[in-house]
Amino acid sequence: MIEKIIAYIKNRFPDIKNITGVYAFVVFALYTWTLIVSFYKIPSWMLFFTVGQVLSTYAYIFSVNLLESLFVLLCMLGMEYTIFLPLKNKDEFQARSIFAAAIFLASSMWRLIQFQEYSDTSAFVSGEMQWWLYTAAIALPISVLAPKIAWVRGALQEAADRLSIFLYVYLPLSLISLIVVIIRNVA
Amino acid sequence: MTHISRRDFLKVAGVALASLASSPSAFSARRDDNRHPNIIILLCDALSPFHLSLYGYPRQTSPSIDAFASQSTVYHNHYSGGNYTTPATASMLTGMLPWKHRANTIMTRPELIPINPYSLLGTDYFRFAYSQNPWPDRLMGQYYQDIDQFLPPSAYSLLKKDFSSQIKNLFRNDRALADVALNGFMLLSQGESVPTGGAVFGQIHKSQNLNIVDSQKLKNYPQGAPEISNGGYDIIPYLNEMVFSGIYDDLRVMQNQEKPYFAYSHFYSPHFPYRPSQRYLKMFHDDGFAPPEKPSPSFSPNLPKSYIHSQRDMYDRVIAQVDNEMGKLIKKLEENGVLENSYLILTSDHGELFERGFIGHSSLYMYEPVTRIPLIIHAPGQKDRKDVFALTSNTDILPTLLNIAGKQTPPEIDGKILPELGGQPDKDRAVFSMYSVGNSAFMPLSQFAISMRKNNYKLIAYRGHSNVDREYELYDLESDPYELNDIAEKDATMMKKMRDEFLESLMQANKPFERA
Repeated sequence: MIEKIIAYIKNRFPDIKNITGVYAFVVFALYTWTLIVSFYKIPSWMLFFTVGQVLSTYAYIFSVNLLESLFVLLCMLGMEYTIFLPLKNKDEFQARSIFAAAIFLASSMWRLIQFQEYSDTSAFVSGEMQWWLYTAAIALPISVLAPKIAWVRGALQEAADRLSIFLYVYLPLSLISLIVVIIRNVA
Repeated sequence: MTHISRRDFLKVAGVALASLASSPSAFSARRDDNRHPNIIILLCDALSPFHLSLYGYPRQTSPSIDAFASQSTVYHNHYSGGNYTTPATASMLTGMLPWKHRANTIMTRPELIPINPYSLLGTDYFRFAYSQNPWPDRLMGQYYQDIDQFLPPSAYSLLKKDFSSQIKNLFRNDRALADVALNGFMLLSQGESVPTGGAVFGQIHKSQNLNIVDSQKLKNYPQGAPEISNGGYDIIPYLNEMVFSGIYDDLRVMQNQEKPYFAYSHFYSPHFPYRPSQRYLKMFHDDGFAPPEKPSPSFSPNLPKSYIHSQRDMYDRVIAQVDNEMGKLIKKLEENGVLENSYLILTSDHGELFERGFIGHSSLYMYEPVTRIPLIIHAPGQKDRKDVFALTSNTDILPTLLNIAGKQTPPEIDGKILPELGGQPDKDRAVFSMYSVGNSAFMPLSQFAISMRKNNYKLIAYRGHSNVDREYELYDLESDPYELNDIAEKDATMMKKMRDEFLESLMQANKPFERA
């Protein structure tokens, strides 16, 4: 019985190329968001931090980005074995996960833009449940249906391939950042 | 060997128990004539002396502080180095003006970090730090190594989980950077006018924090519990009764230390948002009080008068509530003999304005209600009130503490020992307050509003702000205490004298920052 389950999981597990494609998209989305938002903060940081301190601040930021991206990838894989389990089509994993990640991340980013201020506290909290229900209601059907269209699936695979270049930039940067954070806290 | 019978033992034990019971309390103050007195600072954020009955405010906002003042020294012309929390608190803790320590946002200049009460009092003292306001908490994070007990802003609050403090403790060797990068950006909860940097973890953390805050619906607080929201990164709901009671418990424990202690507690109230409890909600309602009308400067946001008056009422109510809690705390300290061997300093970091189309602090407004702060100091065993009218600055607090503790004052310190506590009044002294939030900490000051008080006169200088229509304002505070008549053009002689002295002081302050 256990062997059957393991075999089933192995059989359903997407190949590493597809996972890398999804991860490349997630990394691109998360790091780009963080970098763009951080550009608004740099002028104030420069008022009281030296250039070295600003770079060290980015070490913390990239370290969190790395953890965030791994967390999102795990969520995507988790969805593949839970709500997407009945679909039984691992070839569509990449397009499906990219769609789901894109809609959820875009929703989160839009929400963060909408509710920034202290005065937004009640509005942020009161509409939270509906917000995520609507997001899920949009994300899940699109993630399931859109990859059925061959050219959509193909376009997303192509995009994922091209975005994988960001892995070569951001991952080494994040690993260096992790080392910087460790050194700053151990020293 | 002397044998003690059971009867003798019971007699001795009975006498001992009876004497313990007759003492002010079971945890009465340790008394040792050779030890230095304890030093307790109780600071209420944004508490303007212009709203305390002690300093002549028509509303009876501070009966407890008035009573405390009857056995203390009251300083009537005490000024803060800054008109918002970080530079103001840094001035008090470093004894330097903001144009020297440069803690405009978070930190002082690195080379000045050793100049603070925690390092300078040293291990002779048990050193306690607590700031409800997260900005001084960040500032004191620089002194982490020298603080024996360092409570987070969420201590005694309604927040059960405080993720921000956990992060600061996790990265304690690199607190400031980790705090700015993580609490202040990636996991930001609110209020920086920039979205949270972490699209996933930031969203999760923000949701967690704001849901906890929103759930604090309290019967006695119809407008919700007071909240620490200013630069809080996380919003922290709290109740003053819990906070003051918690600090009393800490002081009670410290009282039994083998060595004297230095305890700095920075309370958030009466800072905005002004949310008094039900009991104070109608206080001063329609009491006929009408503050004087004052002209608005060119940079005024011109808030409606009715809104300003309603907020002033709320502020006064919060002060009345804080005064009540402060009174209870002081009474318990007195009953337990703490005041017999302790200096108790009651002050603020900066004031608060409800005039000229504006509410609050931290702006170009350098008028008296925001730059002047209360200072009431009770010396050990003091029974009579003393009044000091000489000009003093909150940079004087550190040298005064060091004098009390028998320590040397470093030469970098701008402040002087306070009159009545070892210092002498200085008639020729100029006292400065400043606002320079947009100025780099590494460059000469070029963007600022600075006030200089000397004798009866007060000069306000503005630079680098396009919305200000003048360079200077000058007031004679003796004939014009409300700063209604700008005499910068009418009294050219005094204007020149004050301006020359200001420019000379500014030049001296900027010298270390000039590029070679």
